[in-house]
Amino acid sequence: MLENIQVPEGMNPEILEHLMNPQNYGKLDAPSGVGVAVDEKSGEYVIFYVQTDGKIIDDLRFATNGCQDTVVVGSMFTQMIKGDAIEYAQASIQKLNDKLSGASAQQQICADMVLSAFIAAMQNYENLQNGKTEEMHVLKMKESCENESDI
Amino acid sequence: MNQIYKQKHELWLAIAFTSFAINDEKIKSKLYDFSQIAFRHMKWISSELLLAGENYNYDREMQLCKKESLFELIEDLKIKVEAIQNHYPHTRLGSRCRSDDAYLLEYLTSLLGNEQNNHPITAFNRECIYEEKNLSKEQIDALTLFLFEESYKEYELVLVYAYMQARTDDVLQFSVFEDLIAESHFHLKSFGNMMAKLGILALPRELHEMSYVIHDLEKFVRNGIAEEEAAKEMCRELSSKIKDEELSKFFDFINEQESYHIALMQRLLETDISNEAAMTNLDFDEFWSGVDI
Repeated sequence: MLENIQVPEGMNPEILEHLMNPQNYGKLDAPSGVGVAVDEKSGEYVIFYVQTDGKIIDDLRFATNGCQDTVVVGSMFTQMIKGDAIEYAQASIQKLNDKLSGASAQQQICADMVLSAFIAAMQNYENLQNGKTEEMHVLKMKESCENESDI
Repeated sequence: MNQIYKQKHELWLAIAFTSFAINDEKIKSKLYDFSQIAFRHMKWISSELLLAGENYNYDREMQLCKKESLFELIEDLKIKVEAIQNHYPHTRLGSRCRSDDAYLLEYLTSLLGNEQNNHPITAFNRECIYEEKNLSKEQIDALTLFLFEESYKEYELVLVYAYMQARTDDVLQFSVFEDLIAESHFHLKSFGNMMAKLGILALPRELHEMSYVIHDLEKFVRNGIAEEEAAKEMCRELSSKIKDEELSKFFDFINEQESYHIALMQRLLETDISNEAAMTNLDFDEFWSGVDI
């Protein structure tokens, strides 16, 4: 499945489908973990909800006020890891990062925000399992879309 | 009451996007007027909710009806309008909403009574062809991305400004929000109609509360100004990329409107925007206590 990932560059039917019908977009009512990645400079964020038993990602959702690249990457990534093992999801992050190495700086920042939000959600799950009280786990991004001139 | 707000929000979108999907200018225009009435219902319902000490959100569960004939779209819209009727409260406002909807239902029924009104719907066919204009693939791609980006942003702005307008006691802020909401409605309509022409009409994605529960109005306005600048740049790029006089003029026109939005937002910065406590229900000190990566 990872082989099928396409960086959202140019328009093709698959990208158009993700734009018209983003997958796994929204919220979960009773998630096991909630994570946010936020770009404080631009105010853009991605919030991720996961439902997991610690082994399998049973369900997940994401939402963002970011650009369409963020939406497309979020839609693709969630589709890719839903129903799979956490180990697979972790490996997917690395593979997706590798795939995006040739993408524009802005696309890499957008993808990074999606992946960071997922990592934050998993961190929140782990923290809650360890008895920590935390509504959601927040990661602040170092790179900002606002620095890019090709927005 | 929050449930009726949610249903009204969904109905506003259903009427507006049915209007965008229809090619017949007369029917399109009439339905768009009805969508604006539905939006005013939303505004009044939100005021009553806040007066009663209740709250509301922008959650929604609707799917866009994607049919291939006008009659199928109208039939679906009729069902949605009928479904809300028993949920209106027995108040003066509830009575007003029922009366407006009854008139809309009569209009929809009259459309269905004349077979000549039944035209094919091309708004969802994904053909990505813009009327008779000879746009290259690259130009269509740029236009497509712009329309998805900006239709979401305009929807977001309509709802965010409406949320803030409902919570301010400052007359100048109220007035600026009113203007910005009207402007974003116009842009949403323009972009929605263009998406329908391209066959890519889709609902803007749902707003998360992090987008509209504003904890720092000044920062929000400053970010908004930066976004307007980015939108202006996108308009400029699109206008120069699309070698079509009519479309280029349109994007230059939108670009100039964005300039005035910035002026309106700068007026907000001149008001007392330190009183943002009423605009938040989240504990943001706790919220931002994350870890840098």
